[in-house]
Amino acid sequence: MSSFHLKIVSLDGLFFDGEARQVSLRSIDGEVSILAGHIPYVTAIGAGECRVYVEDSDQIRRAACIGGLLTVTKEQVLIAATTFEWAENIDYDRAKVAQTQAEDILSSDSASEHKKEVAKNKLIRANTRLKVVEKYKSR
Amino acid sequence: MKDINLRIKSIKSTKQITKAMELVATSKLTKAKDKIKRSRLYHLALQSAMCDILARDIETRSAYLETREIKKSCYIIIAGDRGLAGGYNSNVFKYALENISEKEITILPIGKRALDFCRRKDYEILSDDFVYVENIDIGNCHEIANLISECFLKKEFDEVFIVYTEFISALSQEPTIKKLLPLDRTICNEQIEEKKEYVLFEPNSNTVFHAIVPSFVAGMLWGAVNESLTSEFGARRTAMESATKNAEEMIDDLSLKYNRARQGSITQEITEIVAGSGL
Repeated sequence: MSSFHLKIVSLDGLFFDGEARQVSLRSIDGEVSILAGHIPYVTAIGAGECRVYVEDSDQIRRAACIGGLLTVTKEQVLIAATTFEWAENIDYDRAKVAQTQAEDILSSDSASEHKKEVAKNKLIRANTRLKVVEKYKSR
Repeated sequence: MKDINLRIKSIKSTKQITKAMELVATSKLTKAKDKIKRSRLYHLALQSAMCDILARDIETRSAYLETREIKKSCYIIIAGDRGLAGGYNSNVFKYALENISEKEITILPIGKRALDFCRRKDYEILSDDFVYVENIDIGNCHEIANLISECFLKKEFDEVFIVYTEFISALSQEPTIKKLLPLDRTICNEQIEEKKEYVLFEPNSNTVFHAIVPSFVAGMLWGAVNESLTSEFGARRTAMESATKNAEEMIDDLSLKYNRARQGSITQEITEIVAGSGL
């Protein structure tokens, strides 16, 4: 099967640099999958699971991938994410704590509009992480 | 003689502290430097994508690109949490004062000293949620970026600057000011040439552009925070190095004095004994 060069970077550094058969993630518009030979393409990343189908193996690597940019050029596919965490590295308990904290803020009446906005974002991130971990474990 | 001994002891313990601080600063310096290196790829990726969009279609209209009449400016000032770093903090503030316009301003301080500075000068503070610069993580940078992007779009202020310290080498750090918003089309002058192959933007280039600006700003912030941290540790290391050296000199000096005094008292005693024996 044909493959393409995939590079994944975030502010934390380089996460993946190698050949892949397919990469799927959630853009701001919905799920997208990139296969080899895709036309040059740019989109902004939403919040969701990113699956990397590594070349020459059945292995599918899962990660939480939130925000940033996906660029496809002739030479390579580049994911520059604001948050990128492989499923095996996600701290489930921490995400759980973040989730409850965010929910508390959202349900309280005293919190300011701005705080709620921040909490809403945090909740989305925590939920994404939890979902990715749960999927990863159920496999 | 007892006095001198006491002083030597106290200077010795001070020296141990400065030496320890020097070592801590050194190791933190390497860590912060490493962070800068790791974030560079991401930053370049976003920057080139933005330039690509700008170069491709000059039509891109975004509030982030608009230069408005300046009524109010926002300054993000990054300084340290603690002192004992030579002129690091005061240099940033001096530089900030030189560059801050007389107009209406609001400040987002990062670092405890920066907050103190704003309070002292009685500046309007945008948010004091991000006080400890050493605890700032990538998530915080995104929060800050979202906050200022939002306020910018709501026209709460019309331009955003960031004042931080650039790390040039372990011995020299320069305070710098950079404009964050509105975005400057000139950041990508070199790349604008001939890149006209067709690229599909989904849903469209404007939306993509709009979505990545806060990420880009966050990247810039993260870079600046780490650059500042590196500078702080660099400055602290240099300061502590010279403090340790001074302590050593003082100890040498005092030991000499102590030995002289000891010798003197012995000589005196002998003289007295000899005189007393009546020979």
